[in-house]
Amino acid sequence: MAETQNGRQAEQWLALESPGSNGFGGCRIESVGVKLPSRRLTTRDLMSRTRHRTRIQLERLTGIHERHVVGPGENSFTLAAGAARDCLAHSQHQAADIEMLVSTSITRSRSGMMQSFEPPLSLYVKQAIGATHAVNFDLSNACAGMLTGVFVLADLVSRGEIGCGMVVSGEYISHLSWNSARQIRSLFSKQLASLTLGDAGAAVIVERAPDGAPGIDVVGFTTLAEHSRLCLAFPSTVGPGAQMYTKSRQLQKVAIEGVAPLVAEAVGEAGVDLSDIDYFIPHQTSARAIRAGTQEFVRQLGAKPKHMVVNLEEYGNTSSTTLFLALHKYLEEQRMHKGDRVMLLAVASGVEIGMAIFTLDSQVDHYGRTH
Amino acid sequence: MGARIEAVSALTSHGLRKPSARKLADAAARACLAHSGRKPGDIDMLINAGIYREDNMGEPALAAIVQEDIGANLGHPPVGGHGTFSFDLLNGTCGVLSAIQLEAGMLRSGLIRLGAIVTSDVHPDLKDHGSAPFRPAGGTLLLGWDDSIPGFTDFHTETFPEYEDLFTSGLVWQGRRRQSHMVVDAKPGYHARLADCAEEATRRFLRGVGLDIGQVDLFVPAPSAPEFLDRLRLRLGVPGDRVAYVAEDLEGSYTTGPIAALQAAVKSGRLGEARNTVLLAAGAGITVALALYRQ
Repeated sequence: MAETQNGRQAEQWLALESPGSNGFGGCRIESVGVKLPSRRLTTRDLMSRTRHRTRIQLERLTGIHERHVVGPGENSFTLAAGAARDCLAHSQHQAADIEMLVSTSITRSRSGMMQSFEPPLSLYVKQAIGATHAVNFDLSNACAGMLTGVFVLADLVSRGEIGCGMVVSGEYISHLSWNSARQIRSLFSKQLASLTLGDAGAAVIVERAPDGAPGIDVVGFTTLAEHSRLCLAFPSTVGPGAQMYTKSRQLQKVAIEGVAPLVAEAVGEAGVDLSDIDYFIPHQTSARAIRAGTQEFVRQLGAKPKHMVVNLEEYGNTSSTTLFLALHKYLEEQRMHKGDRVMLLAVASGVEIGMAIFTLDSQVDHYGRTH
Repeated sequence: MGARIEAVSALTSHGLRKPSARKLADAAARACLAHSGRKPGDIDMLINAGIYREDNMGEPALAAIVQEDIGANLGHPPVGGHGTFSFDLLNGTCGVLSAIQLEAGMLRSGLIRLGAIVTSDVHPDLKDHGSAPFRPAGGTLLLGWDDSIPGFTDFHTETFPEYEDLFTSGLVWQGRRRQSHMVVDAKPGYHARLADCAEEATRRFLRGVGLDIGQVDLFVPAPSAPEFLDRLRLRLGVPGDRVAYVAEDLEGSYTTGPIAALQAAVKSGRLGEARNTVLLAAGAGITVALALYRQ
């Protein structure tokens, strides 16, 4: 491997940030927050409202029993701001400590606008929570948005440019399901994946890890852009919001082929084995796709993580928030403990593949019954 | 040592039969790579900071499509290969400066060796260019690492949310037409307030980095609107020969504005001569972003 002028290894497929390895300090995920709308929609109810008789057994196919959907007055902004507040409630930090706030949702609905462009949603979120001095911008990277935000903040925190930053996302995406329900006719429709979506907000604080404390071992990303057009979303022509066209089988094939060598690269950079991962949290699309994908890369890598996290049954696919929604759930349920090593895997339209490996520490004390 | 501007390219839709945000970004990226002598595969990170596109595509990131179009590290990762990571960043006229801050940092940490920032905007309703508050344009900026200059050393961003309603834009569903329609609302006096906020932020920034206005050899501002730029220049007391004015055909370009101004500074030779250059962008929010480039 070649060395760059700044002393880092060059020939990696992933853009890999491994804090602490380059003379810079380590960083960690300090807290996670979520905001779920109270209203729920079962798969049975959704499928009973399709315009055409489809015969699609969506729940059996995907493992999704229900999802949360917004009610009156809720939108991307309210979900994002709610998640940011919840994140602060689990944090040692005050809003004023946040030096950078990155909003990463694909959807940016706010007060009557289905999709707001300017000012950025991050401005409204930081004002809503009182992080008034934070530098803010929006970032868009499909379902990989939140992890991309963590990747960006990890670099800034590791170099000491900021001490603490927040990534937030509010995904109001259930309108894609309704627009799909108006049009879908069969299992082979490119709008099938739109029926799996649920609404949720999530937020995460990234901070400088205290000396000697565990944190993010590695966070990395790449874009397999040869396949950039496998999943496309545009404003809908049948109702408010968007519609999405996904070549699901091709996307899954590309993801399965791409993930294994990249997981190997990330695990190698972190200096661990896949079997050292206590909790593996992949992007939540469908239970069947997750199982098939995991089996394949476990077969290729010859090892498997101790626990696989799938929470589709109650949330569906919540786009850029899935990884942190799952992490939050496991923390709240006190399934995770100090010293547990967690791996997040983002797979998104682009095709974006990103991953983070980190070790939990005192964060676990701020969740569950003791909180 | 620091992040160095390797090449810039900004262009209008002139010559494109059907201008689109994708085509403008692609053309600017190809032109910039040609100027620099770099290959698409050299790009480690590609950030798109453009906002307005013909189809209002929500995903994937337009950056991924540009990566595919220019042929930057396509396909599956072979062992020991080298990849490109692409995503979109949205911060209006200030997006390019936010992207520079991220890539300059990643160059410093050694995470990347070459960063690209692309921009482009067209009015979503392509038949309605006349009503757009900007001129269709695309741009690309390449950032590399240089051991011999300080490069980008300081960044500063301020928001003035008391003016958040002076410029808003977004999609609104119109049931009768069965489509989403772009709504842009710029209130009277927006550019004057931009100039006032930019002056305030610039003075704070320069105090922070220990420079007087007179020690800044070159200002590279965006947007290029005279209602903003003339007022800002007068209030700061910056002589006209220390300002990089964009070429006439790129006046009114939107997220490409900072790259268009940089291109003017490069072409005139003034960027090469300047020791201290301040890049300044102001836009919706109101947001003001500044960067100090030293060589």
